[in-house]
Amino acid sequence: MWIERNTLAQEIPAVSGLDTRQLCEMLASLGFPVDEVATREGSEVLDVDITANRGDAMSHRGIAREVAAKLHQPLMAIDALPVVEGKPAVEVRLESLACPIYSTAVLDLGSGATPQEAQSFLRAMESAPKRLPAVDASNELLHRYGHPTHAFDADRIHGAVSIRWAKDGELLVTLDGVKRTMTKRDLVIADESGPIALAGVMGGDGTKVTETTRRVLLESAWFDPKTVRATARRHSLHTDASHRFGRGADPAMARVARDLLVGRLASWCGAKLSGAWTAGSTPAVGASVTLDEAVLTRVAGESLSMPDAADALERLGCAVEIAKGRIKVIPPTWRHDLSSPEDLAEEVLRLRGYEHIPSVLPPLEGPPEPLSPAYLQRQRLSRRLAHLGFHQTVSYGFISPEADAAFTSPDNSTEGRCLANPLGQEFSVMRGSLLPSLLAAAEQNLRRGSREVRLFELAPTFVSGPQGPSEHISLGLVWGGMLGGEDYLSPARPVREADLSGIAKDLGWDRLPEIRSLGENLFGFEIPISELPQAADRIIPAFRPFSRYPAVERDLSLLVDLDQPYQVLADTMKSSLPSEALQDLRCVDVFRHKSLPEGRQAWLMRMRFQVDRTLVGEEIDGWVGAALAAAESLGASLRA
Amino acid sequence: MDHLLPPDIVEAGHSFPAELAACGDLDALLRLKGAYVGREGSHAARLMELLKLAPKEQKRDLGAAINALKQQWEEGLKSRQFEIETKKKNRKALAASWDPSLPPPVPAQGALNPLNRLMDRLVEVFRPLGFHVEEGPEIETEAHNFDGLNIPEDHPAKASSDTFYLAAHPDLLLRTHTSPVQVRTLLRVAHDLGIRGGVRFLSPGRVYRKDEIDPTHSPMFHQVEGMLVGHGIGMQHLKGTLEYALRALFGPHTEIRLRPSYFPFVEPGCEVDVSCPLCAARGCRVCKGSGWVEILGAGLIHPKVLEYAGIDPVEWSGWAFGMGVERMAMMLSQTPDLRLFFENDQRFLKAMGGLD
Repeated sequence: MWIERNTLAQEIPAVSGLDTRQLCEMLASLGFPVDEVATREGSEVLDVDITANRGDAMSHRGIAREVAAKLHQPLMAIDALPVVEGKPAVEVRLESLACPIYSTAVLDLGSGATPQEAQSFLRAMESAPKRLPAVDASNELLHRYGHPTHAFDADRIHGAVSIRWAKDGELLVTLDGVKRTMTKRDLVIADESGPIALAGVMGGDGTKVTETTRRVLLESAWFDPKTVRATARRHSLHTDASHRFGRGADPAMARVARDLLVGRLASWCGAKLSGAWTAGSTPAVGASVTLDEAVLTRVAGESLSMPDAADALERLGCAVEIAKGRIKVIPPTWRHDLSSPEDLAEEVLRLRGYEHIPSVLPPLEGPPEPLSPAYLQRQRLSRRLAHLGFHQTVSYGFISPEADAAFTSPDNSTEGRCLANPLGQEFSVMRGSLLPSLLAAAEQNLRRGSREVRLFELAPTFVSGPQGPSEHISLGLVWGGMLGGEDYLSPARPVREADLSGIAKDLGWDRLPEIRSLGENLFGFEIPISELPQAADRIIPAFRPFSRYPAVERDLSLLVDLDQPYQVLADTMKSSLPSEALQDLRCVDVFRHKSLPEGRQAWLMRMRFQVDRTLVGEEIDGWVGAALAAAESLGASLRA
Repeated sequence: MDHLLPPDIVEAGHSFPAELAACGDLDALLRLKGAYVGREGSHAARLMELLKLAPKEQKRDLGAAINALKQQWEEGLKSRQFEIETKKKNRKALAASWDPSLPPPVPAQGALNPLNRLMDRLVEVFRPLGFHVEEGPEIETEAHNFDGLNIPEDHPAKASSDTFYLAAHPDLLLRTHTSPVQVRTLLRVAHDLGIRGGVRFLSPGRVYRKDEIDPTHSPMFHQVEGMLVGHGIGMQHLKGTLEYALRALFGPHTEIRLRPSYFPFVEPGCEVDVSCPLCAARGCRVCKGSGWVEILGAGLIHPKVLEYAGIDPVEWSGWAFGMGVERMAMMLSQTPDLRLFFENDQRFLKAMGGLD
């Protein structure tokens, strides 16, 4: 909220001795950082950030209380002439506990306008003066003392006034001209014809003060914070009044604010009081809270003097009793946030300054826990992939239903993963696959001129279930564009499915991954990382002996049908060879050319033999012959 | 003596050096050799014929002239041959040579995401203090995301204008912070907290809030939260730990500043500023001239949060902090637009994330 320096100084004169920077630093050290300092109406105004728990500080008086407590300086007294109360001019009925006190007065307005000084103060608060003294005075009081008040046109009120729960469906046009439908959880001010104000939130249009208003009925009450917050939220109507009542106003201010308002109207426009009265009474003060020395010492990190702590709490307005190492406190009527010993300890530290808190490393009380295998696995995977040339992406967990459907299994229901209130349709489904997001990123990179795109993401994917979606960390990877061609040794070629298959293998995926074609020379796969190998438990695996004799390699060039599945041929050939001698068997070249018999291709099969002795030629020839025979049984023939 | 020799040979003798120089390879040299000193039909052979027929009194002089000429030719041919052979050898060596300034084939280089790198770094910083990593789901219950954290029932953050809820499961939401991991962890360790000797962990992760996408807002972002529970834990331990961690992160001369603030799940609560790591607190655009930048929120765990998890707040106490990863990354890198972190442009990732 905006705080005007001169007005603050009227509440706490000691502020005049501080320059703006000192004042800002002091406010920040008290928990009220200043976001901005502006100059308005020839005076400095500070944009003070006030946390949600400190409704009491949302006024010049409130900030002044803090500064006064910090500086050990007195506050000016509130200059309110108590109004003599009499018989109610209008009957006021309090029908709900949500409004325990309602102070009011009826005045006949005279002639006269809002003083220039008050107008410029309101402008400094970014609140345009209405030039209606009753309205301007109420606004000025709100910024000055933090207590919202309201003025009704008394001649437009019909009969008795009650503060009651609305009936479902009752209508009220609020000051902003909006017709609102009440519910029975809205607290309203009503006359005999119906609601005339939303309690603590906004007045009604039908009873508002205008240029023609001759008589006003003032309202200075206290409304239950929860009720006001709920109503403000229900009607999306967040006002200066609802902010203050919603965070808890000072019930003791109900009468005082009424008196101040009466005083201002009398002096600004010669208003004459025709009656003042209060319905209900100030609610009982909050329960007492006790601060033990042990708690204060623990929170503060060192032993503090209990009398000093008591003094700090007293400066903040608490009623304090100190006995036997404990401070018993009754918080002031404006503080609704002091309900535990920790709250009180915080106040003591806050006034003392957090800069005095010592700095100590916490002692280790037990053995540290290791990092979890799942966490380490992701660290390892992402590092490995980055070293393999892939870039780690981060994309939103929600995508469009269309993008999701293209990659997510149909038995993973979309409905179970939909958001109730998405930012837009394109962000409405918790994704069942990482590929849509990776595809979009890959396409964008290629569009922007990348020759090659290599991306991966490690993130949860969501699977619908009766109790809600379950989450599984997936690895999604896309690779596309052109490889090589960027130096004199690496020939250029498009990315192929096999390249991705190789990556999956490198990561320890022992099956054939499902490689999806995502576009021209653009492919992707996705695997649940729970199925990738975890780090072994053993630091070093058990020793397995290996032969020190040289290995022998033999190549067989085979003509096979174009539709020959490789794995079948490889397995058949392997099974014909002695497993203890065969180290490796693999296709190292594929040749497809019109010079070959139609429907055939040439595979160069390489076998590597090694045993714990010197191998003799005839023995190897025998094995190669067996392998060839096995291949021939599948229709392969030796390429001439 | 030239007058003794036939004029065409004299002429050939004159043009010999030029012809020799014109021989680019051994074949040409061989041809020249044949023409001048070959056994038959060469200039030398003709001269020998001439010498046989010459009158006796001329023979001596003529012989000397011919020998001189032949010797000159033979020596010239020999040295030229050597030259050509050397050149050939050099060329062969050059052909096999490597110019190290040619662009070499470079292994493909990928990059970790800068946000992940920053989170990893934070984990590294806290590891020596005995912190491990706890994680939790992104889809959470209201109880874990709000109730267990002393967030009042009618807190505005719970509204559908602030938090994403699931359509088919109105009780489920996208976590708005990584704090539900704290609730889950406390619930899990509560029964043997004494044996464990308290608990200390970090919870990095993705969180969601219903903010429109713009240069400073994103509906998804990352947080790293930290929590420690032990005996007699107070603000001094929070300050000590954060001072250690932020110095490890930003350098040994880093100062930190705690300011009172408010979060429902801590009491007392504070904001933590760090002396501007970009200008060494001299004042710059990032710290708006103040020398300080706000880096995280923290505080002592609210007794109600411990109670919710079944931990006695009289025996146990602790602290917690939370920081926004993107915010810190933007501050440190001065990236002007948050959206860049989710565009996944390889150039950005390479430059910002890189590799260890």
